[in-house]
Amino acid sequence: MSDEAQDNKQAPNITRRRFLTALVTVSGVAVAGTIAVPMVKSLDPTAAAAALATTTIDLSPIEPGMQMVALWQEKPVIVVNRTPEMLASLDEAEQKGILKDPHCNIPQQPPYCKNKYRSRVAEWYVGIKICNHLCCIPHYRPKKASVAPWWLGGFHCPCHGSMYDLSARVIKGSPAPHNMAVPEYDIDVEKKSVVVTNMYPLAHLC
Amino acid sequence: MSFKTWFVKRSPLPEMWREHMAEYYAPKNFNIFYYAGSLLLLMVVLQFLSGFLVLAHYIPSVRDAYDSVYGIMYDVHYGWLMQYMHVDGVSLIFVLLYIHMARGMLYGSYRAPRELVWVIGYTIYLAFMAEAFFGYILPYSNLSYWAGTVITSLFKSIPFIGEWVTTLVRGGSGMSGDTLDRFMALHVTVVFMVIVGLIVFHILYLHKVGSNNPDGLEIKANKGPDGHPVDAIPFHPYYSVKDLFGFGVWLFIFAAIIFYAPTVHHIFLERTMSTPANPLKSLPDVTPPWYLSPFYAMLRAIPNKNGGIILMVVAVVFPFILPWLDRNPVISTRYRPITRIMLIIFFANFLMLAYLGEQPPLPKYFILERVGAVIYVAFFILLPFVSKFEPTRTPPARVRFRAH
Amino acid sequence: MKKYVVWAGMALGLLASAPGAFADNGPKMMAPHYTYNAKTIIAGAKLFATDCMACHSIKFMRYEFLTNDLGMSKADVHKYIMLPTGSNYKGNMVSAMPTDMAHKWFGLPPPDLSQIVRYKSQNWVYTYLLSFYLDPQRPSGWNNHVFPNVAMPDVLALHSGFVNEQGKVLRAGDESPQQFKEQVSDIVAFLRFVSDPSVVQRHDAGPWVLGLLALFIIFAYFLKKEYWRDVK
Repeated sequence: MSDEAQDNKQAPNITRRRFLTALVTVSGVAVAGTIAVPMVKSLDPTAAAAALATTTIDLSPIEPGMQMVALWQEKPVIVVNRTPEMLASLDEAEQKGILKDPHCNIPQQPPYCKNKYRSRVAEWYVGIKICNHLCCIPHYRPKKASVAPWWLGGFHCPCHGSMYDLSARVIKGSPAPHNMAVPEYDIDVEKKSVVVTNMYPLAHLC
Repeated sequence: MSFKTWFVKRSPLPEMWREHMAEYYAPKNFNIFYYAGSLLLLMVVLQFLSGFLVLAHYIPSVRDAYDSVYGIMYDVHYGWLMQYMHVDGVSLIFVLLYIHMARGMLYGSYRAPRELVWVIGYTIYLAFMAEAFFGYILPYSNLSYWAGTVITSLFKSIPFIGEWVTTLVRGGSGMSGDTLDRFMALHVTVVFMVIVGLIVFHILYLHKVGSNNPDGLEIKANKGPDGHPVDAIPFHPYYSVKDLFGFGVWLFIFAAIIFYAPTVHHIFLERTMSTPANPLKSLPDVTPPWYLSPFYAMLRAIPNKNGGIILMVVAVVFPFILPWLDRNPVISTRYRPITRIMLIIFFANFLMLAYLGEQPPLPKYFILERVGAVIYVAFFILLPFVSKFEPTRTPPARVRFRAH
Repeated sequence: MKKYVVWAGMALGLLASAPGAFADNGPKMMAPHYTYNAKTIIAGAKLFATDCMACHSIKFMRYEFLTNDLGMSKADVHKYIMLPTGSNYKGNMVSAMPTDMAHKWFGLPPPDLSQIVRYKSQNWVYTYLLSFYLDPQRPSGWNNHVFPNVAMPDVLALHSGFVNEQGKVLRAGDESPQQFKEQVSDIVAFLRFVSDPSVVQRHDAGPWVLGLLALFIIFAYFLKKEYWRDVK
């Protein structure tokens, strides 16, 4: 504010000015907000991206003990057909106490997958094959002792050595913080198909 | 040491603030036309933001460009808002540019010592024309295709190197994906950066010589005891709060257009933008957007291809030399009734040419187009003589100003 | 102040005169009669799905927009609109007709109608749909006053009745002319919506945004006035 402009004039009403400045500032910020919010929202996934959201995977070619990877929303989704002996290894891992989150308390999976199989149907594991640590793609290592002498079968990440069991639960000593994420999906064992519908919103991908 | 002193020691910003805002003294008698300048700045910022956000979803290819542009309208959250802001913003920028230039001509803002402010400003206007042209090629609608074909073919009239220049601009013998690629590159980098750079220079050159005013008086000739012109006030806070009010009114108009009449009777967004490019089907009549149509009308006024192009180029170039055509010691047309009448005829004629340029090429319009072209050119040719000999009224000693 | 009004008047006059300038040679355009609301548009959408979508796509539209913007229930969209089985509720509203078949049948594929109202105007679409007549010279057996030698046959003829070039009714339709015009108006209303579905969001948000700006204008005006009391 300039003093020169006020020579030989009565002093300005400072309180009134401050009050009006506050009103203009608040409403000005609101105006800026109404422009800024849609601008940021326009960078959200588009309706076109949402339309491509589901992927159907045919289970019939996957033999017991084998796995298959499908691309879903630019992400690898792994489907594993687990044998009874592979399912037994899950209990073994729990008993040995090598898992960071054996009971899946961190919501890395939809509620219907909050069990030791981390799946809707025990035999079929469906999950996003992305390591929780820094987004690498872990290798599928089902054979016992294939990674270390104590290895029960699971996933091993080539980047920083994160380890997971056959339900993709993270093993202690890995840099990865959580179990691998499981998306929302529907499975029909009769028709041998899985429909991956959505990312589970609470799950942390990497 | 407080943060403020630490910062002030290292930053040029406080000094720039003083020089261009708090201690930039501007005449106190600006009228409504003077809002256009600051509104143009606001619009350029909004155009940049909405442009960035539509670019984020745009695919520059012959196959995908049109669908990607409509993907913004239909599939992107608030994509319609970004698109309409960007499309309607162009027309509103030209509305403001014409108001801004008309104001400069009415009050003699191009006169010494502000010739370079005018020349830079007029260059900005031409750069905006190029920017708008490249912009409306990008959706690759049928209008884009044919407007691009017609406008780039104008380069063929350049003597000797015409064919070469045309091929260079198009990246081939006709419009193609390569044309789209280079027009997008020009639209978002070179031309845009030229506009921003020139705007900075426009303001710096203006602040070096000081603002003109509706009375055309040199306010620095009458300084008070404090060393500042008595008829001037600091830009901040007086004009900054005034412009804030202007921003509000203008955004209200802008929002009303976007929310309730985004195509403005298909003047701001032409119907032929809504059909994809079709090289087999030319438009019923290729007319440019309204802001370019006066020059297009003059192009059509002469029944000879090169003659028309020469007239159009002359019409575009003439305003550059305006500062040197006006030879009257009195600056503002407030005190030069004859020039003022000439100017008003000139403006009305410009609007008439804009209207004619939008019409289909029918013989009944040719006569008017020629009359319009003659009036346009005659203004510039007559101005040196009229300004030299016209009777003037004596401007007052101080600017005319009524306290609010 | 008076001169500003004059300026504004001149500018408005220019704006208003421009659209009327494109003189169309051909039959006089008629305007559809409808109230532009969700009910009309949904009625039009149902008619469009039954009568038009076998051939014409509206590829920029998605089925879900009918729910999101117009409040049509997802079940209704499945029942009345998604007639071709296997289409995706979130997917684009495209016709099931294969393009090569379209070439064979009509010589060219039926145009996409997403932007038809923007491109041609709603009066054009309305008048076009009411301007078919029997013409034995044409391969399809039909011709049109608005679009001479159009490839499209009059798919609505069973409703409107068969007329010859002079407008003489050769066989009455199953709907009265009044009823038929109302239905065509609904289709036009739907196509107008399809040309710019943002109209719902725009008209919802408009008053709030303008209200906020009005508030800002009032505050800024008083602030400006307060500061300018200094300037004498």
